[in-house]
Amino acid sequence: MQQQPPKKKKIKVPKVVNGQETMVEIEVDDTGGPVWGPNNGHTLLNHRLTRVDGLVKVSGAARYTYDVHLPGMLYGRVLRAPHAHARVKKVDLSAALKVPGVKAAVEGLQDVRYAGTPVAAVAATTPELAEDGIRAIVVQYEVLPHVVRAEDAIKPDAPKVFDEGNVQAANSRGDKEKVAAALAKCAAVVEAEYRTPIVHHSCLETHGNVVDYRGGDAATVYASTQWTFSIPGDAAQELGLKQSAVTAIVEHMGGGFGSKFGIGVEGALACKLSKQASAPVKLMLTRHDEFLIPVNRSGSWQKLTGGATKDGKLVAVEATQYRLGGNDEGSQAGQPYIYTATDFYREVSSIHTNEAGSGAMRAPGHPQASFAMESLMDELAYKLNLDPLEFRKINLKDPAYHRQLERGAREIDWSRRNTTPGGGAGPVKRGLGCGVGVWGGGGSPQCKVDVTIGRDGAVTVACGTQDLGTGTRTYTRAIVAEELGLQIADVHEQIGNSKLGASNPSGGSTTAASLAPAVKDAAYSARMMFAEKVAPLLGVKPEEVTFAGSKVSGGGKSLSWSQACAALPATGLTAHGEWKVNLADKGVHGAAFAEVEVDTETGHVRPVKIVHVQDVGLPLNRLAIESQINGGMIQAMGMALWEGRVMDAALGLMCNPSFEDYKIPGSLEMPELVPLIDDGDTREAVIGVGEPPIIPTVGAIANAVFNACGVRVRELPITPDKILMGLWKGGQTA
Amino acid sequence: MTKEHDETSRPSDPSRRKFLKGVGIVGAGAAIAGGLLETELRGERGATVAATANAPMSGTVEVALQVNGERRAVQVEPRTTLLNALRNHLDPPLTGPKLVCDMGTCGACTVLVDDKPIYSCLVLAVDTAGKKITTVEGLGTAEQPNQVQAAFVADDALMCGFCTPGFVTTLSAYLKKNPQPTLDELREACKGNFCRCGTYPRVFEAALKAAQQKA
Repeated sequence: MQQQPPKKKKIKVPKVVNGQETMVEIEVDDTGGPVWGPNNGHTLLNHRLTRVDGLVKVSGAARYTYDVHLPGMLYGRVLRAPHAHARVKKVDLSAALKVPGVKAAVEGLQDVRYAGTPVAAVAATTPELAEDGIRAIVVQYEVLPHVVRAEDAIKPDAPKVFDEGNVQAANSRGDKEKVAAALAKCAAVVEAEYRTPIVHHSCLETHGNVVDYRGGDAATVYASTQWTFSIPGDAAQELGLKQSAVTAIVEHMGGGFGSKFGIGVEGALACKLSKQASAPVKLMLTRHDEFLIPVNRSGSWQKLTGGATKDGKLVAVEATQYRLGGNDEGSQAGQPYIYTATDFYREVSSIHTNEAGSGAMRAPGHPQASFAMESLMDELAYKLNLDPLEFRKINLKDPAYHRQLERGAREIDWSRRNTTPGGGAGPVKRGLGCGVGVWGGGGSPQCKVDVTIGRDGAVTVACGTQDLGTGTRTYTRAIVAEELGLQIADVHEQIGNSKLGASNPSGGSTTAASLAPAVKDAAYSARMMFAEKVAPLLGVKPEEVTFAGSKVSGGGKSLSWSQACAALPATGLTAHGEWKVNLADKGVHGAAFAEVEVDTETGHVRPVKIVHVQDVGLPLNRLAIESQINGGMIQAMGMALWEGRVMDAALGLMCNPSFEDYKIPGSLEMPELVPLIDDGDTREAVIGVGEPPIIPTVGAIANAVFNACGVRVRELPITPDKILMGLWKGGQTA
Repeated sequence: MTKEHDETSRPSDPSRRKFLKGVGIVGAGAAIAGGLLETELRGERGATVAATANAPMSGTVEVALQVNGERRAVQVEPRTTLLNALRNHLDPPLTGPKLVCDMGTCGACTVLVDDKPIYSCLVLAVDTAGKKITTVEGLGTAEQPNQVQAAFVADDALMCGFCTPGFVTTLSAYLKKNPQPTLDELREACKGNFCRCGTYPRVFEAALKAAQQKA
């Protein structure tokens, strides 16, 4: 159980005044317990902290799931169905089992609803032999008619992905008739269709697991996952074990972006193979598998009509929104997204196709909705002859948006934009655009954290959570070090193990807001307990003991950290921490500005500069947050300009399942990137920031393209063919 | 075509032998050219592989790799890539170089062969017998990082870190060739390495800083 600190008391916290660290007394809240204090009063948090796992990662020593190497380990491979829609009639594994080196072969899924569905798997002593095994499997299919395009799927005679039909019943909201009446009175009305393709997470470490089950009543699963604690239950079910008998280990993670929750079909197959072979099996998807089997960001098809008054008030929006989630639902935020229209009406539904299911991807549903709404807002602004930035400010009440838009506008120098889109001499045109986003985030009481101080002075913070590359390990150490007046190197973290305290999934930007409060609580309790032990040595009351500069002090005396720890019993002390509502918050904004260059002779778009302003509450680690904002801008750039699944309608196959043909951002395309933390947000609470930075840049780029060359591209990605077609159809360039 | 197809379903797989024969020509041929076949490539029963390019090869061969200053032998099928030999056959393995695309697009598997960066997923292990191979582990360690590695940590040029060994290896070699690069030259140097988290700007910053420190 949690250590209960005394209720209602004053505590001393470190504060930097004129560059000097001093201890100041603060009043804690009614229930007692920890508070973060002012955001500018931290000794470690809100500073630029280098990652504690940086050195093992740059030297190749960090062990990812893909790197796990166990004695007698086999390599798994899956066999992908070559049909978009089929039923498996028979799987003959006998020839595969005769391939030298193949030690196990199992059947996979029988209902094939997308090309690539894993229908069988083998495990062999090398990946090369496993590939031979896969080729020796004979599968008989009953091939069924398929449909992979939304336009085809909505036709009455379209092949059915599910028996219930391809179009889900729509959820509607608002008053359609009121909207129609309001639109009739608007000074400007824009009616347009916006589309975004299915986008792939493209994690560099593919989905996969190493399942180590050699019979008996316990198993270990090494997983590339965003939720350590989703693995034991999933694996136990496949292995026929109790959940508590399975240990999940996630030392380092090679990217997830929303796609890695649960053990997945590949993990279930790895369990079967390991059980059959009584040997550890590493089954990591190949890159080709990775493009076909796991989830992806759903596409969107949005028919929007917006109307505004001549002084720029958005008064009516009507939206028909389709989520294109393959054989899954997909996600899409409801329109008019962050804006308030006096009247709005929307219908949201999903169209099913024979493609792999969609899942969460970095701010699921938001970049799609934001791109469409920010484009619509831009179109209305130009129609009304209003500055697009001013038009947004008129329609956004929240002062945080005004603050962020103004800061971003200064950084990009908004006055440089073309007042006439496509204006300026020469074939290469520059333009500016902006966009705005919103994200909830927030924390929840799922994390159980232990902080242990050893008699030898060692400090350990432990929780089963995972670090996706976001810097979890680093801020976890920093919180404890700051609380105890130590340096980051004095603390060690244990994470990524289901035998440690529970933690939440890393989804919805909730990790930091769930974990950091529990870490703070545990560290605070450890400090209180330690103060009790040390107070008699110093001849002071426990509340008079201070921790700073690796010293424990009170009554004019100081003990070094190791001297103080020597006062502890042989077992040291362990304090437990839980989530505290006052230490986390939710709800962030975000504004992005883009400058692009469009070559009107080739249609090529070159991003020149992108600025993103983001509020984050208490910035745990400024260096890591800036990196994440960079990452959001870069992935948004990919979505805006290059990325998208391309399907062959006749064959039902994906045409670009590789990094050769699916273009993710590379070094040559990098513009100047300006990640800005909005310190105007003075909330003394942790808010996750993984997702919001990907949202507004997509629309900002599309709007910058229009400002540059006068071509409004409403379907992502904005490829040269669309620019050239737009120019040919009467774009406003000379 | 039909015949080929039939053959692939048989475990003793003549089509695979055909492939291995191809490897024999390319792989073993290159080794012969280096005069290494007798000493560096041995058949699985210890017998020296016949040095005729047309003879089919099957099973495994012993390849002596010179990795990070050590001679380390692996027993691999000739079709095994250098990347898979390093990651799956060395004991203990070298897993710094990552398998990401397996087709020479992303650069996560970059290693140095005779000090030149190559995609180790595109090179057969038998082709590198006797050559000087350096992986990211051989460039520096967590305790003693090289300047590029140290700069990556200082500038936060990594997030998930899966692409990082490839970038570090590429840039460590590039800065030897061009000790004072411009930003544009660094972009060009890194164009064969992909990152998904979005670390590029800080990779460039780190490389510039490492170059300044070397100067």
